[in-house]
Amino acid sequence: MPDESDAACDQPSFEGLDRRSVLTLGAGGLLATILQGARPATAQSAQRRGTLVIGLDISDATGLDPVRVYQYSNPLPTHAAYDSVVTFAPGDAVNLKPALATKWEYLPDGKTVRLTLRDGAKFASGKPVTPEDVRFTFARQLAIKDQPWQYISHVEDVKVAGPNTVDIILKDPSLPLMTIIASPPFGITEKALVVEHGGTDAPDAKEKDKATEWLNQNSAGSGPYRLVGWQRNQQIQMVKNPHYWEGPPGYERVLIRHMSESAAQLLAIQRGDVDVAFNLIPEQIATLKDDPNIRVAGMTSLDFVYMAVAAAPSNPALQNKYARQAIGYAIDYDGIINNLAGGKATRPVTFLPVGVNGSTAELTKEIGFKEDLAKSKELLAKAGLPNGFKFQLAYGNASIAGVGYQTLAQKIQADLARVGIQAELAPMDQVNMRTMYLGGKAEAVLTFWNPPAPENWLWSAATVDRVAKRVHWDVPPEVRKLVADAAAERDLAKSAALYKKYQEAMVDAANHFVLIQPIYQVAIRKNVDGLQLTANGWMAELGKAKPA
Amino acid sequence: MIRYVGSRLLTSVVMVLLATLVIFLIANTVPGDPALVALGDMAASDPLQVKAFRAQYGLDLPLWDQYWLFLQRLVHGDLGISISSRRPVLDDIIDYAPATLELATVAFILSIVVGLPLGVLAAVRRDSWIDHVARAVSLIGVSAPTFWLAFIMLAIFYGQLDWAPGPGRLDPVSFPPERITGLLLIDTALQGDWATFHDAAAHLVLPSIVLAMATLGLVTRTTRAAMLEALSQDYVRVARAKGLRRWVIVNGHALPNAMLPVVTLGGLAYANLLAGAVMTETVFSWPGLGRYTFRSAVTVDFPAIMAITAIVAAVFVLVNLAVDLSYAMLDPRVVKK
Repeated sequence: MPDESDAACDQPSFEGLDRRSVLTLGAGGLLATILQGARPATAQSAQRRGTLVIGLDISDATGLDPVRVYQYSNPLPTHAAYDSVVTFAPGDAVNLKPALATKWEYLPDGKTVRLTLRDGAKFASGKPVTPEDVRFTFARQLAIKDQPWQYISHVEDVKVAGPNTVDIILKDPSLPLMTIIASPPFGITEKALVVEHGGTDAPDAKEKDKATEWLNQNSAGSGPYRLVGWQRNQQIQMVKNPHYWEGPPGYERVLIRHMSESAAQLLAIQRGDVDVAFNLIPEQIATLKDDPNIRVAGMTSLDFVYMAVAAAPSNPALQNKYARQAIGYAIDYDGIINNLAGGKATRPVTFLPVGVNGSTAELTKEIGFKEDLAKSKELLAKAGLPNGFKFQLAYGNASIAGVGYQTLAQKIQADLARVGIQAELAPMDQVNMRTMYLGGKAEAVLTFWNPPAPENWLWSAATVDRVAKRVHWDVPPEVRKLVADAAAERDLAKSAALYKKYQEAMVDAANHFVLIQPIYQVAIRKNVDGLQLTANGWMAELGKAKPA
Repeated sequence: MIRYVGSRLLTSVVMVLLATLVIFLIANTVPGDPALVALGDMAASDPLQVKAFRAQYGLDLPLWDQYWLFLQRLVHGDLGISISSRRPVLDDIIDYAPATLELATVAFILSIVVGLPLGVLAAVRRDSWIDHVARAVSLIGVSAPTFWLAFIMLAIFYGQLDWAPGPGRLDPVSFPPERITGLLLIDTALQGDWATFHDAAAHLVLPSIVLAMATLGLVTRTTRAAMLEALSQDYVRVARAKGLRRWVIVNGHALPNAMLPVVTLGGLAYANLLAGAVMTETVFSWPGLGRYTFRSAVTVDFPAIMAITAIVAAVFVLVNLAVDLSYAMLDPRVVKK
């Protein structure tokens, strides 16, 4: 370091000062030039008005080829680009609605579903949707065997049956089909286009099909919009399909902008750079209450956060059904929904979310677990554990609808302590938690379930099969039969009655405690009209949206 | 000299391989199973599908075979298939690297162009207002968490003042240019698309300032310290006694001697900017390598983790080499030795 006597260099110097001010002015001027005009002009242009911009975290998407769509965010663009044969109206997860098929019926053989296709439906290319396109779509799906395939692995064959009919032949007709093929992975693709870009439905399609790369950038469907580009982690671009059978959609373009941070989404919707923001947390939604340009829409999802409690070999107390039931009656469910989830959630009886056939919030009050400490203590006594017991509760470092697993775990820990049950919290990496849970090594976990399609069987079969293994539930044969009968029952009212019995059996087994079924809050700018949110697996019906 | 460079390159290769080996071993101690992350709930519970998946990605091989396979592929320029994106890691990197390269380079230029003069002025005018400013800037730059800084900048200059554009590389409605290099500034300039160039440049302002802050602080501090040291040397006193003009003393005598530590720091800082933009990229929805790396780590995506490690290690080693070689130019004594 220089000594003070050497500080002669610290004398003011005029030339330096001048140069510096010039530099400062120059840098400031450059910055101003770069920023100037980069904002307002584009935000209000006519081009901007004809474009619907959606802010969404799309980092999970690995593909947009329908046969490979199984993540959380990619069903939204897939549903906009492809029509399925049938669909669900927003807000209704029970009754199927015609889409590309106007009629569907089981033939007298009991194992063939005949679809009658809509007259006049066209692909974005202008070509009509034919039975051969439908057959090709399913045949390709069955040959490629990527993940969505497993939900229809009970399909044996698909055949063109007539000039506007297609037959789907089932190996196991007791398993449901139509509710599953309403979902985006089963959107109908235009055979000619897919084949032109390397697609095939031959038995060796798993290796030979090369169309995915093209289908990740373009679409070959009949939906209201057509995919024209996907820059990973950046945006998905779509343009309008002028041939759409329900009439041309409201926007020239739809852009799904990747925004991983909810705070960035909040700023962007406030500034008008995005029209719809999907990933806002409750605190952010609250700040939008007084914004005159934004409305907040709620959508009761079919997703839920649940606590699985295993009859773990490592913990004798948990092997006792009454001890597990005691947990179920010691949780302050209303406190979780009202205080942690800000009231924006509901709660089903068990592993069937509110909204699907046979599951309502009223039924939860009737047959579900409720906070009842006296009953909990009674059950503990019955289990021979009047002083409670200990178990380990594992959870990942994530949050759902703004509720962190950590907060939720602490709340449950406090709730259970009231009856003497000690939950030892085990926070861990999400991947490790999943590995442990799927391997059947966890005593209890907090985790999340979201369905590929609103079909009860997809939940109920899981609980008696793979999830049962994870929680060491030795499923009684009569419960298995109940699940099979409910799935095979084609009369909605009768199947709802069977599902009620199933839910009672699940409550009795006390391995799953569903805590939060979120009502997702989506912010929409008021210059967008008609955008309908849906819980059926594809977030929203973009085709109905138009500029206000 | 050539022998020196040659031997340095050779050790560089060894260093890079060692880095990949260490990361490979660490990644393999994680109890999480990549197959269970990548497969859906139904598939993950089907032992046959899990087995097929593990075979497809070579996860069923013994540990050393997996590493050996990685080395063999690496020699052929094949980085494997990413488990989470299901496509070649090389394609992913080609997609994401330009966004990071562009951001890091602009941030680096910014931190040098601002940090160097600021450090010099702070040293020359020690304890004056400019010194205080420089110290404040470097203190904030070094200590403010990037994540916080990014949000504050975004909230003020985008949310409140509306001076700067929002997150992302381009305005939502502008079309990205035809890809040549993937660097938007260069691609738009080559195609003469000045409107999009302007848009891309404006979108770079906030994230590059945020990313530059930490480096800027370091550059300023290091330059200031090195300049103070140089200015106290006898040759500066002699030069002043000779009656040389002040800026000749500062720029011609003191600065070149003060450059050595700054160059070392600058090199490492650039490598750091390239590798460490995760936070900035997250807040600004920047489709770069930082986010990709983060996601690969979270999903235990071995091929991607290994490829990124190899690349980051190579960048650090090469930058270090470049720094060492530049010493020779800055300080003739190095070559003589």
